[in-house]
Amino acid sequence: MTETFYDVLRRQGISRRSFLKFCSLTATSLGLGSAYAPKIAHAMETKPRTPVIWLEGLECTCCSESFIRSAHPLTKDVVLSMLSLDYHVTLMAAAGHQAEKQLEEIKKKYKGNYILAVEGNPPLNEDGMYCIEGGRPFVEILKETAADAKAVIAWGACASWGCVQAAKPNPTRATPIDKVISGKPIVKVPGCPPIAEVMTGVVTYMLTFDRLPELDRQGRPKMFYGQRIHDKCYRRPHFDAGQFVEHWDDDAARKGYCLYKMGCKGPTTYNACSTVRWNDGVSFPIQSGHGCIGCSEDGFWDKGSFYDRVTDIKQFGIESNADKVGGTAAAVVGGAVVAHAAVSALARARNQTGIDVPKEGDK
Amino acid sequence: MGAYETQGFKLDNSGKRLVVDPICRIEGHLRVEVNLDKDNVIRNAVSTGTMWRGLEVILKGRDPRDAWAFTERICGVCTGTHALTSVRAVEDALSIKIPENANTIRNLMQLNLQVHDHLVHFYHLHALDWVDVVSALKADPKRTSELAQSISDWPLSSPGYFRDLQNRLKKFVESGQLGPFANAYWGNPAYKLPPEANLMAVAHYLEALDFQKEIVKIHTIFGGKNPHPNWLVGGVPCAINVNDVGAVGALNMERLNYVKSIIDRSKEFVEKVYIPDLLAIASFYKGWLYGGGLSSQAIMSYGDLPNKANDHSAANLMLPRGAIINGDLSKVHDVDIKDPEQIQEFVTHSWYKYADETKGLHPWDGVTEPNYHPEGPNFKGTRTRIENLDESAKYSWIKAPRWRGHAVEVGPLSRMVLGYVQGKQYPFIKDTIDAVLKKLDVPVTALFSTLGRTAARGIECLYCTDLQSAQFDKLMANIKAGDSSTANVEKWDPSTWPKEAKGAGFTEAPRGALGHWVKIKDGKIDNYQCVVPTTWNGSPRDGNGQIGAFEAALMNTPLAKADEPLEILRTLHSFDPCLACSTH
Amino acid sequence: MFAQQDAFEAERTARLVKAIYVYEAPLRLWHWVNALAITVLAATGYLIANPFPTQPGEASDNFLMGYIRFAHFSAAYVFAVGFLGRIYWAFVGNTHARQIFILPVWDSNWWSEVFYELRWYLFMVKEPKKYVGHNPLAQLMMFLFFTIGAVYMICTGFALYGEGLGLGSWASNMFGWVIAAVGGNSQQVHSWHHMGLWVTTIFVIVHVYAAIREDIMSRQSLISTMISGWRMFKD
Ligand code: HEM
Ligand code: HEM
Ligand code: NFV
Ligand code: SF4
Ligand code: SF4
Ligand code: F3S
Ligand SMILES: [Mg+2]
Repeated sequence: MTETFYDVLRRQGISRRSFLKFCSLTATSLGLGSAYAPKIAHAMETKPRTPVIWLEGLECTCCSESFIRSAHPLTKDVVLSMLSLDYHVTLMAAAGHQAEKQLEEIKKKYKGNYILAVEGNPPLNEDGMYCIEGGRPFVEILKETAADAKAVIAWGACASWGCVQAAKPNPTRATPIDKVISGKPIVKVPGCPPIAEVMTGVVTYMLTFDRLPELDRQGRPKMFYGQRIHDKCYRRPHFDAGQFVEHWDDDAARKGYCLYKMGCKGPTTYNACSTVRWNDGVSFPIQSGHGCIGCSEDGFWDKGSFYDRVTDIKQFGIESNADKVGGTAAAVVGGAVVAHAAVSALARARNQTGIDVPKEGDK
Repeated sequence: MGAYETQGFKLDNSGKRLVVDPICRIEGHLRVEVNLDKDNVIRNAVSTGTMWRGLEVILKGRDPRDAWAFTERICGVCTGTHALTSVRAVEDALSIKIPENANTIRNLMQLNLQVHDHLVHFYHLHALDWVDVVSALKADPKRTSELAQSISDWPLSSPGYFRDLQNRLKKFVESGQLGPFANAYWGNPAYKLPPEANLMAVAHYLEALDFQKEIVKIHTIFGGKNPHPNWLVGGVPCAINVNDVGAVGALNMERLNYVKSIIDRSKEFVEKVYIPDLLAIASFYKGWLYGGGLSSQAIMSYGDLPNKANDHSAANLMLPRGAIINGDLSKVHDVDIKDPEQIQEFVTHSWYKYADETKGLHPWDGVTEPNYHPEGPNFKGTRTRIENLDESAKYSWIKAPRWRGHAVEVGPLSRMVLGYVQGKQYPFIKDTIDAVLKKLDVPVTALFSTLGRTAARGIECLYCTDLQSAQFDKLMANIKAGDSSTANVEKWDPSTWPKEAKGAGFTEAPRGALGHWVKIKDGKIDNYQCVVPTTWNGSPRDGNGQIGAFEAALMNTPLAKADEPLEILRTLHSFDPCLACSTH
Repeated sequence: MFAQQDAFEAERTARLVKAIYVYEAPLRLWHWVNALAITVLAATGYLIANPFPTQPGEASDNFLMGYIRFAHFSAAYVFAVGFLGRIYWAFVGNTHARQIFILPVWDSNWWSEVFYELRWYLFMVKEPKKYVGHNPLAQLMMFLFFTIGAVYMICTGFALYGEGLGLGSWASNMFGWVIAAVGGNSQQVHSWHHMGLWVTTIFVIVHVYAAIREDIMSRQSLISTMISGWRMFKD
């Protein structure tokens, strides 16, 4: 006997009336018109909780840790009532053969209907054996599980971009999941880790509206990744005013001035930290005095020191930033110009005694 | 290798080989293979770390001031401890002295991690080894309430509370979608709790899930987020301002009060829920004395939580330092992480390459060069389809660290035993352990077991909540005395650094002794090595055939059902394994 | 002594001058507006990356960074619109107006003159050649550093600008692809855009030097040509 979404709502003390209201609201927000409300109600009354298979590759588990910090909705309610977390190595009771069997069963029973959530990523070097589960490469399990999924969620910087293990020289060839999964819609929820309420927000959006959130160019939900930290940072007035922290723990730091000169990557980082904030809205990196390190951005590990404002450009072989390379080049050119001018003046003085005299053979 | 004896254990790999992979409810990827004799008793145990990311390779050539952020991502469960270890290593290399407030705030963050990690481990990673969720359906809510009220005055304990919970649980089970509880070992004879205790534990599993997210807010206030708060070489990034204009942009009275309230609530939860549950559960499993492993003979701790800033001597540490070997509890050996004779890592049985694999390397000269090679006469399967590993060859991504050549156990149990035998310096630890032993009516030797390890973690958690309050008071007193400095920036600029430098940093992470070793050259990292708690505990064998703590602890444990690895999980979980940490 | 020499020079010049109308008025106007815009862009751009020391007082009383960025963006519009106008002029203006957009790379004669000019700058030949429009080396440099450079700075600049305007803004729609093209992290676009500052600076240094030097040494007018439009040949 499988519990439906409706049962779940009823169990949470939601009346039939407000359930129907919810259905008509959903219908309207989907642009279907109120005639569709009964159909949605019927679907919800008969549909089981959506199974979620949560795989972990090379990672640090902080995406799972973040997920369980969700305050609204509470993780407890998400797991017991909103979806069915049918495979999650860090939380599940079973292990070994029993765990493997569980995975197989869910894949079979809910073929094409489960959501695959991926934390971490597969390494491809050594035939994938830098990450082994059940004696075989994680990348195989990932591909097989993705094949029958309805949609895929890429949790965190690992699954979305590669994250720390993919930082240069990426010894294991850790690879973002969209590079090994094809033909499936993938929602990237980057961050290291992503904010808990952003994670549950994305999942509940998918369950409630039964569709993928709108994504930006890079596959991130616009609703949480549409703006930069800098666009909504409460220290922004100090930025515009030209008021910056110049050293750690200086007077400006104690007044909460802008951290731009300490290398803050808020101006180049798309995430919801400055609005949703962390851990039930308590703070976020900048509010606690450290610049944003850009943890939701692709390749943020390889953009030079977190404390540099003008960051390194690795393409120049040596580690150097634009001001160093460009400033040096400009100085060299400037010097060359001066030298050239001197030589020119000399040549002119010697050849022509300062006077232009037409020479024979001139055109 | 056949049968041989090491560290008092008789290893015999002739019996039926059982594989458990994945080991769930841990961090990362772990595989275990054991040999069972005809009575289903484990006679050989092989533990394998099955992931590697190469952080030590990735760190080379980078700015040492950034290293904390990289190493912090070694693990999101023990989040922050690697970062702290890293900034300490860099500060050690560059002789940077941090302000008193920075030290206290770091202590508060580290304590906060201990409290959070231990609590989550107990309820969400370990409890289901002792608690049968399905049996809770049979409980009488009224008697559950009586039980709960008899052990604690925690307010959520009425019959109605437990009835509602049980109904929710029933619905959940009847839905047929068991989620994370599916296909587990419910009903296994190794479960000993009565239904009422099970129901109470399940209730607290859910309460703890709600509450753990509150605990970490201390990280959020000081470090901006959790998991993975921010740190700083030279101090902490959060500035203090309690008087002046702009205080709302810094650590002010409101923030400090917030910290205080979380400290108080954490203490209450640990005192009224965690510890009573621990004792209640333990009282039903007193007879199950397996899993001691190395704990009675070889344990080690680096110590942590310097009370005064910049003094890392054992006398100044609130978590004890030292080593005990050959089971001689009367002798606590000094531990010095910079001594090349003391700490060495071997790779004889690990998938790495050394120029000379008969020798161990001190981490300052450590080498990390992967070399995946499953092989050996008993290896079964292929390169990408491992059926059975052969422990006589290389068989794990974890290196084998040794302290003066000994395999040692690290973690809460080691720390609590070291505190117990040095009870004068650590009266809280000594008294609490005595009280717990008395309450359960068991001898000191009962500590050296799976349950002892689990109990030590709870005791440590309690100790840490106590220290949190004390450190908070210390912070306030120092601010009151007029010191609000949080960072030393004298050596912030790499141009002030020597051409070459090396340093080492340590912490006591929730799972045990953690060290980072760094060499800096021309302002960049020249070598970086981490030896992590689960590297010690999850260590494979060394050249002398010595087994590590996981393998030792599994030895001689009987399984109630040969096809259900419940007891294996129970003992492994008592270490709180972290595989992302172990191999990094 | 100088006076005497000047008089002598003036007399010679008057005797030898031939003049040709090269740069039409819109082009000249554009040149100076463009030069001004780039100067403002370079200065403010540098200050965006390396701001002035902290301002005292309340945030609401200051807007220094805001003004600097405003100046950068205003100059950016002038620069970009001017560039579009300049492209238009390449179609309707005289043949010299097309020079900085099209290189006769298929013309081996042109290449040999590039190398000739190069030798002139390396003091390997005694005399420069005279050109009605740009000399081939100048043309090559202007194409590479200025024309390509301007497109590059406009693309990267408006990509960054689009981030401020927001997703779905015209700049984000038109130039957002640039960020994706460099790997999706806009920090990278900042670094590359910043690099453009130095490329531009180098171009300007060389360009201004060459203009003054040639004005003196090549016996044809340059600076005044960009003012009056007339190229004067002194012999
Ligand atoms: C010759 C032309 C230009 C030069 C030399 C120049 C220079 C610079 C420099 C040095 C920076 C600082 C980059 C950093 O390190 O973050 C900058 C930022 C910027 N530039 Fe330009 N730029 C030019 C043209 C443009 C154009 C055409 C636009 C178009 C709108 C533009 C828009 C921007 C924007 C939006 C920023 C970022 C401002 C911020 O982050 O607050 N730039 N520019
Ligand atoms: C930011 C500064 C400047 C920029 C970006 C710049 C750019 C240019 C460009 C693109 C042209 C080619 C015009 C065309 O054919 O459409 C040009 C020509 C010229 N510029 Fe500039 N210019 C700058 C400053 C100056 C200055 C300060 C001078 C004078 C000292 C100058 C003198 C000239 C001259 C003489 C020409 C004509 C060269 C010839 O006839 O071959 N420019 N400049
Ligand atoms: N082992 C380990 Fe950790 C801990 N505690 C770190 O040092 O868990 Ni991820
Ligand atoms: S994205 Fe970051 S937080 Fe998430 S698993 Fe990877 S390293 Fe951990
Ligand atoms: S602190 Fe960072 S995000 Fe906030 S305004 Fe300053 S630069 Fe922008
Ligand atoms: S570092 Fe990460 S947590 Fe937010 S403020 Fe920056 S994206
Ligand atoms: Mg190591």
